[in-house]
Amino acid sequence: MRGTLVVYRRELGALFAAPLAWLLLFIALLLNGALLTLLFSSRASLSAPVDISAALEMLFGQGVLFWALMLVMPPLLAMRLLAEESASGTLEYLRTAPLSDAAVVVGKFLAGLSFMALLWSSIFVYSAGMAHFGTAPDWGQVVAIYVGTVLVSGIFVALSLVFSAATRTPILAAFLSFIGCLGFLLLPAIGARLLASMRVLMADAFGSYDRAERFLLDQLSRVDVAQHFIRSYFRGIIDSAEVVFFLTWIAFFLFLTTRTLEARRWRG
Amino acid sequence: MIEVAHLVRRFGNVLAVDDLSFSLEKGEVVGFLGPNGAGKTTTMRMLTGYLPATSAERLTVAGYDVLRQSMQVRRCIGYLPESVPLYREMRVREMMLFQGRLHRMPRALLRRRISEVLERVGVADRESQIVGKLSRGLRQRVGLAVALLPNPKVLILDEPTSGLDPLQRAEVRTLIRELADEHTVLLSTHILAEVESICPRVIILREGRVVADGTRDELIHTLGGAGHVAFEAVVGDPAEAARLLESLPGVSRVVTGERVGIHQAFAIYGEGDLREDVGALAMTQGWALRELTWCRPTLEQLFARLVLGGGSGEEESPLAAPPPPAQGQAAPPAGSAPPSTPGLELFSGATAPTEPTPALGEVGRKAVFYSLNPFDQGAARDFSAPVRAEEKRPEEKNDADQCASGDDPTEEESA
Repeated sequence: MRGTLVVYRRELGALFAAPLAWLLLFIALLLNGALLTLLFSSRASLSAPVDISAALEMLFGQGVLFWALMLVMPPLLAMRLLAEESASGTLEYLRTAPLSDAAVVVGKFLAGLSFMALLWSSIFVYSAGMAHFGTAPDWGQVVAIYVGTVLVSGIFVALSLVFSAATRTPILAAFLSFIGCLGFLLLPAIGARLLASMRVLMADAFGSYDRAERFLLDQLSRVDVAQHFIRSYFRGIIDSAEVVFFLTWIAFFLFLTTRTLEARRWRG
Repeated sequence: MIEVAHLVRRFGNVLAVDDLSFSLEKGEVVGFLGPNGAGKTTTMRMLTGYLPATSAERLTVAGYDVLRQSMQVRRCIGYLPESVPLYREMRVREMMLFQGRLHRMPRALLRRRISEVLERVGVADRESQIVGKLSRGLRQRVGLAVALLPNPKVLILDEPTSGLDPLQRAEVRTLIRELADEHTVLLSTHILAEVESICPRVIILREGRVVADGTRDELIHTLGGAGHVAFEAVVGDPAEAARLLESLPGVSRVVTGERVGIHQAFAIYGEGDLREDVGALAMTQGWALRELTWCRPTLEQLFARLVLGGGSGEEESPLAAPPPPAQGQAAPPAGSAPPSTPGLELFSGATAPTEPTPALGEVGRKAVFYSLNPFDQGAARDFSAPVRAEEKRPEEKNDADQCASGDDPTEEESA
């Protein structure tokens, strides 16, 4: 546990010592801020009252930008956390130090998550700005959205770490993680498409394909991260079931990361 | 402190470490010596727990099993990998603090230890510099400081002097020698001079196997024999002189070397230092002495034999005979027994000696010297015959032809 904390502290320090973190923060906040301004100004020009909740929802969860940042940031962070260390040899140092692989992975994950949490904490700045200059937003919803956002980020950071642990080349790790995150996010949509296209084929072979298809679609929707996020946090609810859903996936990916690292020992 | 028995490690089909066994006592400084790819780094990584062993009967460090009590083992090992992995963006002091925290050192102790260790490796004045901006030598020292910080019982240093200039190398050597008082040190290198100067005990690896293990003198004695006395003087009849020399007490064998001008060379093998007896004999016989030297094999020659001379016995070391057509003459003919090394075959299976100076031959054999200068074409010269400028070239041609024709039979005989 103490080892995790030591790694976490170092990782966070290293993250902000390098320009990458600042650059990522800058770009994300610039885009987010620009989008928010755009939302407000476009609504205002129509002389309709600005819906603050709608604007926040657009910024966190409904907009493309939100998911784009969600898919781009974690791979870039994760590539630094493991693949780069492995390339520079410091992973050998860390893994001969007296702490377990799991401690290393969790420490690094927490550092990445903290960065994402910092990135999304701009929601409080926006909300405070709105409260100061006009109507106060629904603070409960704001907090719920923030918590949900951090949990979603957690899934993607953890998933990116799996790929980062599997390869020695940082850029390759980032690219693979991006593909992986994209695939995971779009899994239900891709699955639905696939099932629909297979329908004609399968209907000929099996009579009652409908039930199987419904079952599969049902299963797929269970791993729909976006839906889970929107269903709960978006509405201002911190549902324990949803929290468990996210934490389970995070734990699973971190477990995979640790195992991948261990497997690398055997390969040498 | 370190015990290894029947350690094996495979990478796929490649056998990197093949049934390795050795042990280190407390306070020993042992050098791992071997060519690249001999399994030095792999063995060290297995000792630190970074790589798991494919199989091992016993693999313990400081009494802890490396596989089962990995954390305890890691706590008592200071490991410096060859690449000197340090976080480049951190300052020296930060790096040390990080290491101390990983090893759970109490804060007061940590602060004291940092200045102590930095002082010791001589980088105390670089404390607040960024690691990435240090030169290679300084980084090496910081790496050593990081490894030393928790005061580990065992230090494992993988090529601690690679990439350093000679001055820095000497400093690191001195440092390691000092460390030997408090720590058990296992270091790897492929620089012989280093091992000879730092490590009392040497383990020579080849292709993942221990080919020799012992102190420097032990190795030289058991593997290289006691050496021989090189004797060169003006003697009448070489055969008669050889007979006289052989009759000396302690002499086991006399090899008659070439004759250069009026001087006849001999190599006298036997127990211990025979120079006095040979000198006395020369005096009574009235031989005009030119050379009387006790030639003992160096660790370097031994290493070259063990590491290069293995494999198939037919192959000559590339060192021994630079011009390929002349190989037959470079190898001593089967008639004159090559300087035998009884212990050697046991280990490497080598039958052909690969001494870089195979100057000894039969009586009356032409002395041929080979030049290592690549611009000196047709470099074989016969020193026993007077050299005439015009005749030189054709004669050489002849020589080379003879060598080429005489090549195969000699090879077969020696094999």
